[in-house]
Parts: sequence; structure tokens; C-alpha cells
Amino acid sequence: MVKGMFKAVASNARHTLVLAVAAATLAGGCATNDTGAAEVWDPIETPNRFIFSINRAVDIIAIRPMAVVYRDWMPKPAQRGVHNVLENLGEPVTAINEVVQGDPSRAATTLARFVVNSTIGLAGLFDVASSIGLSKTKEDFGKTVGYYAGVEPENGGPYLVLPLAGPSNARDAAGLMADYAVDPFRILTYALNVDQLLYSGTRYGATVLDTRVRTMYALDDLEKNSVDYYAALRSAYTQQRADLIRQKREKTDSRGELDRRDNVALVR
Amino acid sequence: MSLRASRRVVLFLAAGAATAFAAGALSMPALAAGDPKELIQKTADEVIQIIKTTKGVEREAAIEKILLTAFDMSYMGRAALGTHWEGTPEAERQRYLKAAVASEAHAYSERFGQYGGQTLSIGKVTPRPNGVSVVDSKLNQADGPPITMQWEVRDTGQGARITDVKIEGVSMVMTRRSDFNSYIQGHGGKVEPLIEELEKRAGK
Repeated sequence: MVKGMFKAVASNARHTLVLAVAAATLAGGCATNDTGAAEVWDPIETPNRFIFSINRAVDIIAIRPMAVVYRDWMPKPAQRGVHNVLENLGEPVTAINEVVQGDPSRAATTLARFVVNSTIGLAGLFDVASSIGLSKTKEDFGKTVGYYAGVEPENGGPYLVLPLAGPSNARDAAGLMADYAVDPFRILTYALNVDQLLYSGTRYGATVLDTRVRTMYALDDLEKNSVDYYAALRSAYTQQRADLIRQKREKTDSRGELDRRDNVALVR
Repeated sequence: MSLRASRRVVLFLAAGAATAFAAGALSMPALAAGDPKELIQKTADEVIQIIKTTKGVEREAAIEKILLTAFDMSYMGRAALGTHWEGTPEAERQRYLKAAVASEAHAYSERFGQYGGQTLSIGKVTPRPNGVSVVDSKLNQADGPPITMQWEVRDTGQGARITDVKIEGVSMVMTRRSDFNSYIQGHGGKVEPLIEELEKRAGK
């Protein structure tokens, strides 16, 4: 595994900086656990479960009911518009990540999308770019780290449950902070003395509602049909993030995943 | 002279071997590919038919029948139990498998609700050396983007059977495995409470 890491360093010499960050983030994860999907590494399960139960209470009392109202009462075109605006605000961060991932041409497409949708698409309300052939991608720094790290993408360091944000791990939580730090909108609104509370409150409040509506079906189903919701969500989150990273690594399909499962998971 | 002759023989043999190999290589994927694709298509058609025409207990029974015929539930159940399978006596294993199938059937029959015009378009089939085929597909929805589904099909001695489904990268067997394992660990490492819970869910 360490060898694999060095190989990755050697073959991607120009991305040394990113790798250093990746290595730092994953150092803990590398040393002890690289069994990937067999079982998610969760060394602080007790505090995680504690935050998980608080999150769940907040969700049951406040977030889910609000999301249901939003889903059922807000006209569908308006919901789509809100979603598009939020996605448009995220395009610069995606473009930055695509540059770091070594794909400047894809970053250029993302920037073109941003320019088209911000102008012709009326500040992002309409996704005009998709209809003229500029396809959409979504990247974050967690994926970027996972892309470069020489470990199985199931290994994102210790599993974490973040207050409000929910399932994550060391890799994705660090990614979240990095994305926040480089976000041009955050920097710009700060520089222009826009009321930060108002700006972030509106943006992240809307993001929470939009995301909760989009995940409602899957999460309700997982909760209802699992015997240990915490463990089921931990597994599903890890698998899905790993799948996204693997898609970046081998632009084919997830056969690698199955290869490993025959070798590792079923043997245990 | 003799050298040239023997070289010709070698070439001929090589050509023959190449032809035989090519024929073998061509016929093998054809055989392997036809089956899994048909199985997924047939299963999807049947499930859509069930959602359209049945409800309640009747639907649950129909889905259970599909789980037992199109899927290899004993393989999946064993994989989902993981390390705990070995230490479980045969009678308890059978009880676990029965409870797992019944609770899955119950979950599925509620999950589907009413038919919303979904269709499954099947993509490429990837046969793998260990006899497993991976079938790519997309579930097209009336509203919203298509959902990526991958099916793992293997020949288990009774013909091709589905042994796992991955939805947007999340494997059903692997998620159940984590779920069950954690539950068992939380209940003194015993399988019995899990079986009781599954039986309770199936009868709900």
C-alpha cells in the first residue's frame, strides 16, 4: 500500500502538492486499514452514533418536515430553478477541482457552463448550457483527494458523522473545508461586505432543503428496511463515494470493485 | 528443405490454433452474454407487470416468487451474513434465509408503490473470468434523471441467477452485510436476534 502510494507520487510528480495533502489526510487510514469495502473503518463509532442520533432528532423534528412542505407546496418549476441556481453557484468550485485533477479542458467546459448559465440562464435559474451540449459535472475536493490517493477509494480515513451535514469521513470532511476555503463566492461576498449571515444562511439553507428533498426517497427506504440504520447508511455512503472516485480513476465501469470483492470481502 | 517444411507445419498449426481459439473466444461470450441479459430483461418485465396488476399480500407473494427464481437468495443471504455464516447451525441458517427472503419481499412490495412509468434499458454485459457477468442498466424515470443499476449474474448450478444489485454504486448485498453485522455485534454476537427481527418485519 505504501508502495502504491509512492508509485502514485512518482507517476504524478506534477501533482506533488495535492498528494502531500492527500497523504496527510489519509495517513491515519493508510497505516492500519486498507480492506476497503469489507467493513468501513469507524474508530470513533460511539461519538459518531451520538452525533448521528442528534442529527436524526433534528431531522425528524425540523428538517424533514420542512423538506416535505417544500417538496409538496413549492411549484415544481420553482424547485428546479432553486436547484439550478445552487448548482450554478457550485460550478466554480467544480472547475477548480477539475484543474487540480489535471483536466483543464473539462474545467474550461465547466467555466463555460457557468458563464452561459449565469447570463443567458438568468443567474443560473435555467440550465441553458446542458441544452447546448455543455454537459454537467460535479466535483469536490474529497473526490480529488480520493482520485490521487493510492488507496482503495472505500478507505477515506476514519468515518465521521458531521453535525448537520451527516455521513462523511476524514477525506471528505477535509474536502468540504477546502472547497469552502477556495469558493470564489464566499471570498467575493466577503470582500464586497455582503452580510455573511444572510448570504450563507440563504445559500446553505436552500442547499439543505434541496438536498433533503432529493435524498428523501432513498433515505426513508434505507431507514425502514435496515436493522441498524447507522451501519447501513455508513456502508451506503462509503460505497457511493467510492463509486464516484472509481469512476474518475477508471473511466469505464466498476468492475474493479467486483474484482476486489471476490478477493477480499467474501473471504472474510 | 525439411526445415522449411517443418516451419510450414508450425505455421499451419499456429493458424489452426488461432482459428480454434478465435472460434472459442467468439462463441464463449456469446453464450455467456445471451443469458444474463435475458434474465435481467425477463425479471424487469415481470416486476413491472406485478407492480401494474397486484397489490398487498398478492404482490408480496409474487415478488417472493421472483426473488426465489431469478435471484440466488441462499448465495446472497450467505454473503450478507458474512463471517457469522460459518458458526451458524444448518437449521438456523435455513430459518435465517427464509426470514430474509420474506422480509425483502415485504420491503420490495411496499417500496414500489404505484407504477410510475419506469423502464429499464439494459446496456453492456461484461463477462468475467470467474464466471460472473456484470450487466449494466439504466432505470429511466418519468420525472428526474435515470438511475444507474448494475446486476451481478452468476451460474450457480441451476442456471444463471442474480446475486447482487448495485444502485448508483451501492450494492444491496454489501449494505445488508454491514447492516446485519452491526446488528449482530450489537446483540451479543448472536444471529438469533437478527432472525427474530427479520421475521417480525416480514410479518408486519
